[in-house]
Amino acid sequence: MKSKLLYAFIAMALFACKDDDGNEPITPVIPNEEEVITTVRYTLTPSGGGAAAVFQFQDIDGDGGNAPIITSDSLDSNVTYTGSLEFFNELETPADTITKEVLEEGDEHQVFFQVTSGDFVISYADVDKNGNPLGLSTTFESNTMGGSLTVILRHEPDKAAAGVSGGDITNAGGETDIEVGFPVNVR
Amino acid sequence: MLDKLLILLFTITVISSHAQTCELTVFGKVLDKQTKKPIEFASVYVEELTKGTVSNVEGEFEINHLCSGEYHLVVSHIGCETQKIFFQLSADTTWTVYVEHSNQLLNEVTVEDHFQESQSQEVEVIGVKEMNRQLSKSLGQTLENISGVAAIKNGNGVAKPVVHGLYGNRLTILNNGIAQSGQQWGVDHAPEIDPLLANRITVVKGVGAVEFMGNSLGSVILVEPKKIDKDPHLHGNARYFFSSNGLSNGINFELQQYHKWVAWKVNGTLKKSGDTNTPDYFLTNTGVEEYNFSAELEKQITSKWSANLYYSSFNTQIGILRGSHIGNLTDLRSAFSANQPFFTQENFSYNIQNPRQEVSHQLLKASSKYLFSEQAWVEVVYAKQINNRKEFDVRRGGRNDKPALSLDQESDFFETKFHYYFQNEWHLKTGVQVNRVNNVNVPETGILPLVPNYLSNERGGFLIVAKSFDKLKLEMGARVEEENRKVASISNTVPREILNFDNTYLNYTASAGVQYAWNEQFSMNYNVGLAARNPEVNEMYSNGLHQGVSGIEEGDINLNTERAIKNTLSFATKKKEKLFAEVLLYHQYIQDYIYLQAQDEFRLTIRGAFPLFKYEQTDAQIYGLDLVTKYQINELWLTELNYSFIRGNEIDNGVSLINLPSNSILSTTSWQLPQIKSLKNVELQMLHRYVFEQRNITADQDFVAPPEGYYLLGFRASSEKQFKSIRLEGHLGVENALNARYRDYLNRQRYFADELGRNFTVGLVVGF
Repeated sequence: MKSKLLYAFIAMALFACKDDDGNEPITPVIPNEEEVITTVRYTLTPSGGGAAAVFQFQDIDGDGGNAPIITSDSLDSNVTYTGSLEFFNELETPADTITKEVLEEGDEHQVFFQVTSGDFVISYADVDKNGNPLGLSTTFESNTMGGSLTVILRHEPDKAAAGVSGGDITNAGGETDIEVGFPVNVR
Repeated sequence: MLDKLLILLFTITVISSHAQTCELTVFGKVLDKQTKKPIEFASVYVEELTKGTVSNVEGEFEINHLCSGEYHLVVSHIGCETQKIFFQLSADTTWTVYVEHSNQLLNEVTVEDHFQESQSQEVEVIGVKEMNRQLSKSLGQTLENISGVAAIKNGNGVAKPVVHGLYGNRLTILNNGIAQSGQQWGVDHAPEIDPLLANRITVVKGVGAVEFMGNSLGSVILVEPKKIDKDPHLHGNARYFFSSNGLSNGINFELQQYHKWVAWKVNGTLKKSGDTNTPDYFLTNTGVEEYNFSAELEKQITSKWSANLYYSSFNTQIGILRGSHIGNLTDLRSAFSANQPFFTQENFSYNIQNPRQEVSHQLLKASSKYLFSEQAWVEVVYAKQINNRKEFDVRRGGRNDKPALSLDQESDFFETKFHYYFQNEWHLKTGVQVNRVNNVNVPETGILPLVPNYLSNERGGFLIVAKSFDKLKLEMGARVEEENRKVASISNTVPREILNFDNTYLNYTASAGVQYAWNEQFSMNYNVGLAARNPEVNEMYSNGLHQGVSGIEEGDINLNTERAIKNTLSFATKKKEKLFAEVLLYHQYIQDYIYLQAQDEFRLTIRGAFPLFKYEQTDAQIYGLDLVTKYQINELWLTELNYSFIRGNEIDNGVSLINLPSNSILSTTSWQLPQIKSLKNVELQMLHRYVFEQRNITADQDFVAPPEGYYLLGFRASSEKQFKSIRLEGHLGVENALNARYRDYLNRQRYFADELGRNFTVGLVVGF
């Protein structure tokens, strides 16, 4: 009895050691990264007509991997432009437009434009369903001095907080989905 | 140190056998196991007669006029878990009840000497009594008061234990003897274990865990349910607990019976808490829900052969402070300067919203033991664990119901262990183990996974020999372990592709210990151990933005195994039953210590620029001191003082290691009375805790400086009462009585919010 049991234990131990069925990890499924924003494009069209200026930030493989590519453009001095901001996910084919999602959830989003240097005046030209500014459409007035512009998209900001509806990000809170900077030249 | 009070209950001598039906007497004597001196004021109570007595100066007690039959004897002593002993009486009987005052004075708790592990390594135990004092706490929080142990947290709901500076996968947690298998690599992943399913938690402040499979660099935490009492009747207890901060309510029940066909035990916990609060504001979205269950069957098949089946299920949903969810470095900086976290609500709520975690863990363990003789036995164990973790973030486009991280892990473990006690005090223990872990990302997230899929196969074997001499105990052990890990990850360049890796690691580890007692008053303990830990998947294959910590983390597929040498040296002294003091010194040298090194580089992403961190290796050391002292001033007053000191740095440049606990002091003053009218074991405690500022971290090692030191005051009161066969135990407590505003260095949410304000706790235990 005693030795039989011992043999049984040894046999079980050996059996366990010989367990080599399915010796490969499960192949991961490459996800459909529909939420990623790869590209921010800010198009400024002169209200009086003429060629549009395009500012673009493109990070085609998402966070990490290769460095993003920033494309800049030049503006004319003392001109009023109509600004249009678009977001894309170019990991998807055809490139998915994130702009639509942001528009649909306009009350949960707000774009902030920060003039880090230079002399531009940017004002909101659109509102969400509650009548608060959103920032996909803007009016952009250039002056004589070039500089740089930072575009920030906040998710779930507190639009009622002081200064936020005027475009001041200080009290906005929420979390940043996009924060990109562009040099802006003025001819 | 053996932090326990051991009641050995076995010397039963039949004095006379001409028993009249109801004229039997039980004589007893309560003695100290070591000194053989009598113990006064031990309470002895026979449930069936609803009468009892207290041992006298000579430690003696006597219970008369007993009929022959079955009885339950309840023995209690202050500061210890109350024990219920079943016996059958057919003649006058003398019981000698040995009470072990181990190294420490009158402290914890154990009755069965089933803890055979790590006899020479430093051990601290949390027993039922201490657990009942803090019923609403998680495993990590329960252990915080032990000298040398801390908790690394992500808010109050997520706490991971830290022993001698190491945590996560550098620390092994054994749940009912099985190494917990889950996503231990994450700082914000708490161990999926309900401390209330266990009756005993042991922290081995060790140098090498040669007996256990896995990655421990020395220390081990054992969470063990108590064996089913050998009592043929149905017994159980129910526990209710409440905390005012977070309006947390919970119940736990346990039922057991040593039935003649099969012994069984079931245990379950339900717990719900809402938003906790600091002295000034609610911590919005910090609720926790938990439901846990365990069941155990035990069968003595023959006198030599027994089998045991155990199942436990842990399920939790944890809310993560809404204001701690940030998008980039700018958000983090503005969170530092805010008076209170963003998204703070005016009102309390039980609601749990994103960000949140949903975690479940199941363990099935089947074991069987065969005794060849009293000195030799073999034990076979099979265990299966299933761990599911889903983490939900605040997402755009109605994706809040899709987890941002979803991992399933299954593991199968098999072990055969053999024990042999030779004559002349030799003890040999040896075993072989195999373990297989299959980690899979569930493709439902729409996000590149943080850690890859992998399949790990481990096999190992160990041998431990121990020998006891008169004043000397020696122990030596060695282990060999091989791990093969096959990894399938996804590239972070486009087009996305599958990358395969295959690594094999072979590790030899060893430990040795010596214990020497000069006399009853003075003893020492020295241990040295060689341990190894293979690099974890997150350290090798992470690649990308870790949004929660605002950094880009890059793994390194060429990392080596960490190898460590740890020495512990302790001296303990005991003066009569008055004073106990122990000092433990430890030093650990870790070759190829893996850590996240901040690079002088920012990486630009669409969310802005993030600092870059890379997993690198360096030779490092961690050293420290744990001090435990207890002084019994007189019969009523007991004072205890714990102090932990810890430092750690890179060898080359002396730069301090991050995430090491701050030094801390805990002082406890207790007033204890064995009996006030019908209340037994009345105890009042005052606790002072001071945590020093972590001053070793330099400005470039963190986004903000470590918080200032802080002082916390607490009170506890407890008592017991016996009604016939029902025992009541009540606990009241106040934590952070002064409502102090503070932050703790090891809590990652210190970037965003203060710690909890004042908290009143209630605990009730009903046992029958």
